[in-house]
Amino acid sequence: MITKEFITRIEGHGNLSVDWKKNTVHLHIHEGERLFEGLLIDRTAEEMIWITPRICGVCPVAHNMASVDAVEKALGVEPGPTVLALRELLQCGQMIQSHALHLFFLALPDYLGIDRATELADKDPVAFKRALALKEVSDLIVKVVGGRSVHPVTSVVGGFNRAPAQSALVKLRRKLDASAGAAQWTVDLCRRLKYPDLKVELALVAQSKGSIAAVSSLDIDKRRKAPIENYKEEIEEEVKDYSTAKFGRCRGEVELVGALARLAVSGAYDAEKYGVDFANPFHNNLAQAIEILHYHTKARRIVNKLLKGKMNLAIKKMKRRPPLKGIGATEAPRGGLYHEVHLGKQGSRLQKTITYANIVTPTVQNLTSIEKSARALIDQSSGVSRKKMEKLLVMLVRAYDPCISCSAH
Amino acid sequence: MSKPRVAIYDLTDCEGCEVELVSLRDALLLLLDKIDLVNWRLGQENNKPGPFDITLIEGTPITQHEIDLLKKLRKQSKLLIALGACAAIGGIPGIMDKAERRKWYDKIYGKGYKPRGIDSLPLSAYVDVDFLIHGCPVNKEEVLRILEELLSGKQPSYRGYSVCFDCKRANNECRMVNSQPCLGPITQGGCEAVCVSGGSTCYGCFGYRDEANVKGMVRALSRVSDRQAIDRLFTMFLKKTKEYDKVVKPALKNLKP
Repeated sequence: MITKEFITRIEGHGNLSVDWKKNTVHLHIHEGERLFEGLLIDRTAEEMIWITPRICGVCPVAHNMASVDAVEKALGVEPGPTVLALRELLQCGQMIQSHALHLFFLALPDYLGIDRATELADKDPVAFKRALALKEVSDLIVKVVGGRSVHPVTSVVGGFNRAPAQSALVKLRRKLDASAGAAQWTVDLCRRLKYPDLKVELALVAQSKGSIAAVSSLDIDKRRKAPIENYKEEIEEEVKDYSTAKFGRCRGEVELVGALARLAVSGAYDAEKYGVDFANPFHNNLAQAIEILHYHTKARRIVNKLLKGKMNLAIKKMKRRPPLKGIGATEAPRGGLYHEVHLGKQGSRLQKTITYANIVTPTVQNLTSIEKSARALIDQSSGVSRKKMEKLLVMLVRAYDPCISCSAH
Repeated sequence: MSKPRVAIYDLTDCEGCEVELVSLRDALLLLLDKIDLVNWRLGQENNKPGPFDITLIEGTPITQHEIDLLKKLRKQSKLLIALGACAAIGGIPGIMDKAERRKWYDKIYGKGYKPRGIDSLPLSAYVDVDFLIHGCPVNKEEVLRILEELLSGKQPSYRGYSVCFDCKRANNECRMVNSQPCLGPITQGGCEAVCVSGGSTCYGCFGYRDEANVKGMVRALSRVSDRQAIDRLFTMFLKKTKEYDKVVKPALKNLKP
């Protein structure tokens, strides 16, 4: 056993056990089972989008959006363009919130030689101020659109209960302008960090234009695609006796999802310029920094557009005979998230009750890969002391930014 | 005088209340100046064992390990404080009943699965709790107020008013007056009525206010809603409260379906 207690500075409760002689690594997940797929049964369609954010307080918006998508498909509801823009803005806020929390409060202390992120306030007050500015602006985005920074209250099937006030958007734009420098600085900071060496062959998987796309970490031009509707065949889940979370694979391959995979699949965001190594999972931290900048820039663009146009929250289309089954999908901060829902026939649209729910979270998809990368790290680090090795392994788990609450929903 | 030794623990939950603590930003730094935060798994690597002067506990004790840990923390802590709805009243995980768990383990994990979970109950089902910080998630300003009262040696107080008062301050129209079901009238204030302001109902995540007329609430709701819908309102966060068993359930039985 290398980590006797739960691993610190990660979301949720897990620990690692390593058999050094046999070179086996097990990631034990101890989170209690909340059985969300069971407790959703007999709740109404509109309650689903209220309940699922409680799976995770770090990425509640992602769960809200995945459920909204699933329920709208089941009910044959198509939202209008303003709603879609507001949802994109909400997602930008969610990405920056989650990445900033992870980078500054959970991961970076390893690289900066501190124990708790708040120590940075004394050590490098300017850096700490920038970190807080990003946390503040991302919280504000989610609050302005979603009504609260954790667990949104305005988001409903078809759109939003209310649109953000013009004055709130103007204030948000000011805060976004003021924090743009901090977003760029985050990339520069993470580019300069010395990441441990590691090379692992993994499938990097991300949602892309309605499909699940996979590229190889060793050759990102080698690409495979499948429609999102096939998510159950694409992502296989396995139950392990040492974990309350299932362990995922993509078509039999060990997969990595999240920021690094999104960079690889999209091929955008100047990954090359910043020296991103897709075969090294430690570079997920760098990828998160690049995404902070990307989503910050995108948020500014959306806010500017919203301020120029007219807000119209009306639903675009509504099917007369809804299919009553829907698969919702979104890229959560930690990777592809899938919510499936089936609804009963009784009752008006929103009062129909849930007869089946299935949720596949990003961290489930990453767990198998954390173990594989840990074994590779041990193999590839010869002459490293046991103590140093243990530290590196915990850093590796953190680099994946696991969300254990999500994984054991 | 030495600073009080404070610990923050999380059991099974979403950790959203701790995220709210981080969102306090500069106010968190000021708070950290006044205390010695000796144990916080989510925030730091070097954690010391008890005894603690104040222990904040977030989440629901679902596994035996968590129940044991909770009992140990009770012994080691002068003050044990519940942080958020899961710890304070059971919250969303409390929707799942103990009798239903085996069925869902079989469906979700498969028949051979050995579960860790026992039941999803609030902290008070196992230990005495000195104070409840309510909310799903907690309200940041309320956390600051309560912690400041604790640190100055006072017994912190609950809000002596309902969410209705917060609604008035937020200039919201009354949902009940508009025939929209709402638990605001029996729910403790301090949340700034954030859900109603956002167009949602109040599901009572701040817990019952003092002397709440729960029976009267069910009666008032029955004029604008039906039995199932009222039950769903109460079972979102309050299913594992004794008021639900003793007052809501019997009152609902007398209503037409």
